[in-house]
Amino acid sequence: MLLTTVIIILREFLEAALIFSVLLAIGRYLGIGSAWIGRAIGLGALGGILFAGNTGRVSEWFDGVGQEVLNATLQIGIFACLTGFAVLFCTQPNGAENRRRLMILMTISVAFAITREGSEILIYISGFLSAPDMLTPILLGALVGAAIGTSVGALVFYALSSLARTWTPWISAFVLALVAAGLASQACLLLIQADWLPSQTPLWNSSYWLAEDSVTGQLLYALIGYEATPTPLQAGIWFCALLLPAILIAVMGRFGGRQTT
Amino acid sequence: MRRLITILCCGLVAMLATGPAAAKPPIVEIEIRNHLFIPSELVVPANTKIKLVVYNRDPTPEEFESYELNREKIIVGKQKAIVFIGPLKPGTYPFFGEFHPKTAQGTIVAR
Repeated sequence: MLLTTVIIILREFLEAALIFSVLLAIGRYLGIGSAWIGRAIGLGALGGILFAGNTGRVSEWFDGVGQEVLNATLQIGIFACLTGFAVLFCTQPNGAENRRRLMILMTISVAFAITREGSEILIYISGFLSAPDMLTPILLGALVGAAIGTSVGALVFYALSSLARTWTPWISAFVLALVAAGLASQACLLLIQADWLPSQTPLWNSSYWLAEDSVTGQLLYALIGYEATPTPLQAGIWFCALLLPAILIAVMGRFGGRQTT
Repeated sequence: MRRLITILCCGLVAMLATGPAAAKPPIVEIEIRNHLFIPSELVVPANTKIKLVVYNRDPTPEEFESYELNREKIIVGKQKAIVFIGPLKPGTYPFFGEFHPKTAQGTIVAR
C-alpha cells in the first residue's frame, strides 16, 4: 500500500509542482514578491477541500459527467492563464502594472492546479480514514510522494533560476507553453470521456516505445501531456494550443514595434 | 497573421461543433465490491462507442483507470460513474482501480 500511495501522490503532486516551480522561477526573475504564493496555496487548498467534499454531488451534474466537465474547466482555466502569462511576460515591459497582472494569472493558475490535484489526494486519503491500521502506511506514503514531488519541483526551479538572465524568460515561457498545451489536450480527453467531444480512433500507439505508466511516460505526461494513444482531435488541440502563445507573441510584438516607430 | 488566427479559430469551432453522435451508445455495467471488479472481464462490441456504468458498492472511493482506454475517473463510495469508452479496435484493454491496484483489476475485450 505504501508504494501505491507514493506513486499516486507523486503523480498528482508532479503536475501542480511543475507549474508552481516554473512560475516561482519567473516570479523571482521579475521581482514579483512572494505574497502571491501563500494566497495561491490557500485558495487552492480551499478549492481542493470543497471539490473533494462534493465530488459525489459534482459527479451527478450534466447527466453524470460533472466531474469531467469541472476538471476540464479547471484545466482550460489554467491553460488560459498560462498562455496569457507567457504572452504578457514576453511582450509587455516589466512595469508595476504588468507585474500585478502577471501575479493574478500566476495565483489563479497555481490555485486551480492545487484544487484539481489536491482534491484527488484528499479523496484518496479519506478512503482510508475508516481503516486505522492502513492509515499509517498511507500517510507515510503520501509524505514520501509529496517530498519527491517537491524535490522535482525544486530541481526545476533551481535549473530555471540558474540559467543566464537572457535565457530565463524564453525557456520559462517555452516550458509554460508546453505544460499549457498538455493541459489543453487533457481537457479535450476529459470532454471526450464525457461524450461532449467526438470519440475517434487513436492516431497512433506509441505505448510500445514509451509506456504511459513508465517513469519517463509519467514525467512527460506532467510536462507536455504525453499520451500513447491520442485521438486526432486531441493531437490537433495540442498543436494549436502550443502555437497559440507563439502567434499571440508574434502579433503583439509586431504591434508594439509599430507603436514605437 | 490575423487571417491565420481566424482560420485556426474557425477550425477549432468546427471541431467542437461536430459534437457527440446522435445514436445512443450501448450500456455496459460493472460493479466494484470489496475492491474487486465484478465481473472482471467485460465483452463489448468492437468499433462502437460504449457507455460504461461503474457501480461502486464499497463505502470507500475508487478511481477507475486505464492507460489503454485513456480513461480515469473517481467514483466516491456507494455511487455510480458514467465513462464513455471506445470505439475500440478488436483487442484486450486492461483497467484497474488506482486506489486498490493490487486487487481491483479487470479487462475489456472488444470483439
